[in-house]
Amino acid sequence: MNLEKVIFGFFIVLAMTLNFGFFLGDIDNAHHHHVYELYAAIIVSLIATVLKFGDRTHVGAILLSTSLAADIQLIAAAILWAALDGKMDQASLTVYIVSLSGGALMANFVSVILLISETIGQRR
Amino acid sequence: MNSILFLILRRLRRPLILIIVCFSIAILGLSLMPGVDNNGQPWRLSIFESFYLISYTATTIGFGEIPYPYSQAQRLWLTFSIYLTVIPWFYAIGKIITLLQDSALRQAITTERFARAVAELKEPFYILCSYGESASVLAKTLDEKGMRVVVIESQQERLNELDLAETRSVIPHLCADAKLPENLIRAGVHHPFCSGVVTLTDNDEVNLAVAVAVKLMNPNLPVLARAERDDIAANMASFGTDHIINPYTLFGEQLAMRVHAIGTYILHEWLTDVPGDTLLPPENPPRGRWVVCGYGRFGKSVVQNLERENITTTIVEATPELTGCDNCIVGSGTEARTLLEADITNAVGIVAGTDNDINNLSIVMTAYELNPKLFVVIRKNRRHNDTLFKQFNADITMQPTEIIAHECLAHMIAPLLAQFLTLVRTQSNSWANQLISELVSVVGETVPERWAISIQESTTPAITELLKQGVPVSLHNLTQDPVERSKALNLVPLLLLRDNVPMLVPPIATGLRIGDQILFCGTPDARSGLNISVNNIKALTYVIDGIEVPDSLAWRWFKGFLSRK
Repeated sequence: MNLEKVIFGFFIVLAMTLNFGFFLGDIDNAHHHHVYELYAAIIVSLIATVLKFGDRTHVGAILLSTSLAADIQLIAAAILWAALDGKMDQASLTVYIVSLSGGALMANFVSVILLISETIGQRR
Repeated sequence: MNSILFLILRRLRRPLILIIVCFSIAILGLSLMPGVDNNGQPWRLSIFESFYLISYTATTIGFGEIPYPYSQAQRLWLTFSIYLTVIPWFYAIGKIITLLQDSALRQAITTERFARAVAELKEPFYILCSYGESASVLAKTLDEKGMRVVVIESQQERLNELDLAETRSVIPHLCADAKLPENLIRAGVHHPFCSGVVTLTDNDEVNLAVAVAVKLMNPNLPVLARAERDDIAANMASFGTDHIINPYTLFGEQLAMRVHAIGTYILHEWLTDVPGDTLLPPENPPRGRWVVCGYGRFGKSVVQNLERENITTTIVEATPELTGCDNCIVGSGTEARTLLEADITNAVGIVAGTDNDINNLSIVMTAYELNPKLFVVIRKNRRHNDTLFKQFNADITMQPTEIIAHECLAHMIAPLLAQFLTLVRTQSNSWANQLISELVSVVGETVPERWAISIQESTTPAITELLKQGVPVSLHNLTQDPVERSKALNLVPLLLLRDNVPMLVPPIATGLRIGDQILFCGTPDARSGLNISVNNIKALTYVIDGIEVPDSLAWRWFKGFLSRK
């Protein structure tokens, strides 16, 4: 058991679950998607990205790239929210934001799968 | 470059996570704090607004309380946030600055730059595995001749010298241990244009390690290595090192050459010196009894070669048990008593060959006072003592660094030259004298350029084209001036290599064949003149027949029309 591995796995899985939690609900219903959940998803995803820095292996590089993909989409969702809030109708804005977070969810999902496959490959 | 980026990212992991965590706490808290707008309505900062506010607060820019004056709760949280975020922010900046000054990172960057500069070389280059006295002379000369050089040296001070030196082309250099194979690879051992490795450090073990490593990694690459100990030289030879250079043996041989064949010696010196220098006619060392002070590697080589010329020697040595000298006078030679004991007054020459410059000077000064007619041979160990040695003006000053540099140049600039010099040594003194007078009449008193051409499609297109057409081209044609064929270029063909059979100073009427290799010596002008004839078929035809081939199609047709009539 290694504390570093625990923290690493925790943040990667948490990034995915928070993202999923935000994504869950009707795509055009603003009440189903809370702003603080998106906020938490962004912060955890950023931390997960930084944790992946500096790993020179091939799997490490792919893990980092999935995280970067998730970050970009989540931040894009947050920027849309901040910029367009109150300027267009609530339902369509929510659709934009939630679909972007859905894209990020895919990236986070790939990240978790990679993590699991690497763990299984360790055979210890 | 990639690895450096990862190195930076890895080191920045901790400060970056700290910043993210602190910011997220501050932003979250601020967006939860209740406030009141201008109309007295409850109001809270959105997450985006909080982010904006914390960003300008944490970076100490501070725009103030926008859009409304804050409530006490918000101010309280903001005060807490300032301390929470500003400190990690400065910690991260400090960390980045420390990282940029980090010696490991800087080393990684310079190494990477060096490897890239070498990889981008598009012309043949040599790798020098040191930048000491002889290697710096070598680098300078090669650079002047337009050849590229790459340097690995373990001492930064020497590289600083290289940084300040004015060179024609950039010399990529790296402060690293040449013994490590990875550094040799960075320097381009596997590079397709690498034409050889030269290792001239004053440490035999290092030279051996480099020679072995290069021969294992790229067996076809020529290696020139300096070796002073016989066992190391034998070890190098067993690994196929192409040229092993021992300055002491070389000097001993040259001294012997001076004693018995001064002409051959002058020729040798003249053809291996730096082009453009003037050479003073050397004096002939006298026959008789010599006193040799210092029986180290240098002294041994001198004694051995002098004895081969039937010259008797008296050896003066301070530590005979260390150097393995059975029949010698014990003493350093710096005091008159020892020299008198060696019967200096009846000797014809003295060799001051210890490894200490000041002692050497002291020996010859003392000896000179006792016997002013002495022929003086002095060993100079350090180049920075130049002024002192010039002041004394000995008959022969032996400097290992120059001997090494000359020997390397002979092998590197024109490999045929080394072959030529070996052949010259087998010739008589009068033959050499005759060749010298011929050379001097053609190229003058200054040291000439030496270069080789090989008759091939790629290097001499004009000659191969004419030979294929059946037009005979002789060596004489190559010595004619392509501007005015009745004039001769100031050059002399020294050696012609045909089917690996060397022909020493080939007769001028010799016809050329494809595959021939010819060594020339001459003035720089003659070299560029020859370059025109061998590359330009029009110039070569003019040189052979005196016929100007017309350039334009119309004129060529007209000429053909005229000649048919």
